[in-house]
Amino acid sequence: MPGRASASTSVRADRRVAGSKVADRFDGPPGGGKTGRDVRDEGQVGEAVGVGRRAPVLSVQQVSKRFGAVEALVGVDLVVRPHEVVALVGDNGAGKSTLAKIISGVLQPDAGLLEIGGEPVALPSPSDAHQAGVATVFQDYALCENLDVTANLFLGRELRERTLMREGEMERVARRILHDLSSRIPAVRTPVSHLSAGQRQTVAIARTLIGSPRLVVLDEPTAALSVAHTAEILTHIERLRELGLGVVLISHNLNDVRAVSDRIEVLRHGRNNGSFDARHVSQEELLAAITGATQVATSSTSDALL
Amino acid sequence: MTAIAGFREMVTRNLRQSGIFVAFLVIVALFSFLNSNFLSPGNLTNIVLQYSYILILAIGMVMVIVLGQIDLSVGSVVALTGAVSAVLVIRHGQPWWVGVLAALAVGVVVGMWQGFWVAYVGIPGFIVTLAGMLLFRGLAQRVLDNVSLSPFGGTYYDIANGFSTNGLLGGYGVDVFTLVIFGIAVVGFGVSQWRTRMGRIAYQQVVEALPLFVLKLVAIAAVVMWFGYQLAQSRGLPNILIVLAVLILAYSVITQRSVFGRHIYAIGGNLNAAQLSGVKVRQVTFWTFVNMGLLAGVAGVVFSSRMNGAQPGAGNMFELDAIAAAFIGGASTTGGVGRVTGAMTGALIMAVMSNGMQLMGVPQSVQQMVKGLVLLLAVAFDVWNKRRAEAR
Repeated sequence: MPGRASASTSVRADRRVAGSKVADRFDGPPGGGKTGRDVRDEGQVGEAVGVGRRAPVLSVQQVSKRFGAVEALVGVDLVVRPHEVVALVGDNGAGKSTLAKIISGVLQPDAGLLEIGGEPVALPSPSDAHQAGVATVFQDYALCENLDVTANLFLGRELRERTLMREGEMERVARRILHDLSSRIPAVRTPVSHLSAGQRQTVAIARTLIGSPRLVVLDEPTAALSVAHTAEILTHIERLRELGLGVVLISHNLNDVRAVSDRIEVLRHGRNNGSFDARHVSQEELLAAITGATQVATSSTSDALL
Repeated sequence: MTAIAGFREMVTRNLRQSGIFVAFLVIVALFSFLNSNFLSPGNLTNIVLQYSYILILAIGMVMVIVLGQIDLSVGSVVALTGAVSAVLVIRHGQPWWVGVLAALAVGVVVGMWQGFWVAYVGIPGFIVTLAGMLLFRGLAQRVLDNVSLSPFGGTYYDIANGFSTNGLLGGYGVDVFTLVIFGIAVVGFGVSQWRTRMGRIAYQQVVEALPLFVLKLVAIAAVVMWFGYQLAQSRGLPNILIVLAVLILAYSVITQRSVFGRHIYAIGGNLNAAQLSGVKVRQVTFWTFVNMGLLAGVAGVVFSSRMNGAQPGAGNMFELDAIAAAFIGGASTTGGVGRVTGAMTGALIMAVMSNGMQLMGVPQSVQQMVKGLVLLLAVAFDVWNKRRAEAR
């Protein structure tokens, strides 16, 4: 554990450089330019941007979930707005993945309310969640390696004419989305088994942009990646924000989280344990909240920040 | 920036795909060298007639295998569907098409039964179809009261033995209709290959050099037309070859172009990813088994017609021939990989080997051993090829 921490500190400096470089690359289409928070998208992918900027795209209120005797989540709140990356951090077993799975329709909450775009919703399955505008990159099982990039992007929501697939159109959309993400995938017909780990994660993130979602949930997107690939994925996440989406980022890596997110929500033992502005919070404050050195009264902090 | 791949690059990149075709040609060449009768018009017709039901079963089997399942019951289902048809047509004097429809319906019901247990109860296909193998064999014996029924005669017999289109367009010594059909097929194949190539160029993907592409098309066209000419010299176009061509075309489209086919590959490739992506895993699994049952019904009709009767022991070990055909044709043991065209080539390899060895008077025992070794080597080659690809 100590070894890992020191390694990632040195990583951070590299990434800051890499990140800014890549940000400069978004110079072409309207809405590109800086990774600034207030850049309005001009609607390349994001038909989603119609949502008012202040209205939350996702609002989780007092959600609880238990597995047998284990209380995975207890009265958790979470708010995500358009153009906002919210990081969800916490120790192992803090309930991050459980919350992500509830948002993406894999698990059902025992109590509490989910609102998407201001409307209360029930999400009995991942496809219902996708219909409601929530797109998720799941931690391990994101892609089918035997299929090519286009097939993976459209899996489960193929464009069809009666029962046959419209391959040409799917390829065109695939190319546009990968271009929107400024990705470096060589060809949209490459089998995923021929791609590197970073390229695969790019495909997994690009998948979320099919069908104009409003909220993207990323569960540990950089966990298995090298430094260079991680930097690339982080620029993709910034790109999602530019496109006007709300992003929920789950990560163990505090450096990644601080590099890319606007707000950091800490979970501890299935409860909210602090909400921080990513620009001003220190590593120590975060660690304290994660490990429980500081017990934060949840309601007051989140109100203060909203 | 269109990259033009050289011959060697093409061959190594598609070693698995091209390897199977090369192996097929080598085996054909070997047998024609060993036995002058092997490539005679009569014998080529015979190969098609003799192994058609294995080809039909292999179409359904490769889909089940791509899904990541297996079906051990198809031999018994062939017996059961043939038995039902025979009882209706021979014992009760119903017209031939009643027998055909009943056999297909029984196949579909069997498929629904097995699909239900696999997809909705969650029992592995291996177990469900192993049970089915016993269950439907027993049912077939029951339906037939444990005696053989024959003969069908008439139209039913012609399904697998007839040449209904022979002489439709006349011709002296050669059947013109056969040649016309083969000509249309070759032109159609050429056009579709050309369009695929143009599409790949438009998307800046790798294609073979033009002379190589033309050479490949000409070679395939020559082989196919030669085969057609041999058939035309003999008895014309077998009905069963028309049925097979329609099935192969239809299932190539279903597996490669339809959403259903795409989802079969997705489930076999990564079950969890498919499920989380909204693929209806249970429905797709269910219908894949129903489809296998339907095709087993088709094979049951063809086999009973070919045998001109139904026996309680019909179709024994057919499942193993069909499974072997799929694996020799490049299907992966872990699911997610395999093609209908590959399985057809695999089945033809089995057919050509059986026929060739029979012509040479090789004893049955040796034939079995050779076929077993070929299956083992084909899968070993696949494993070796995969390792090599990973090492790169």
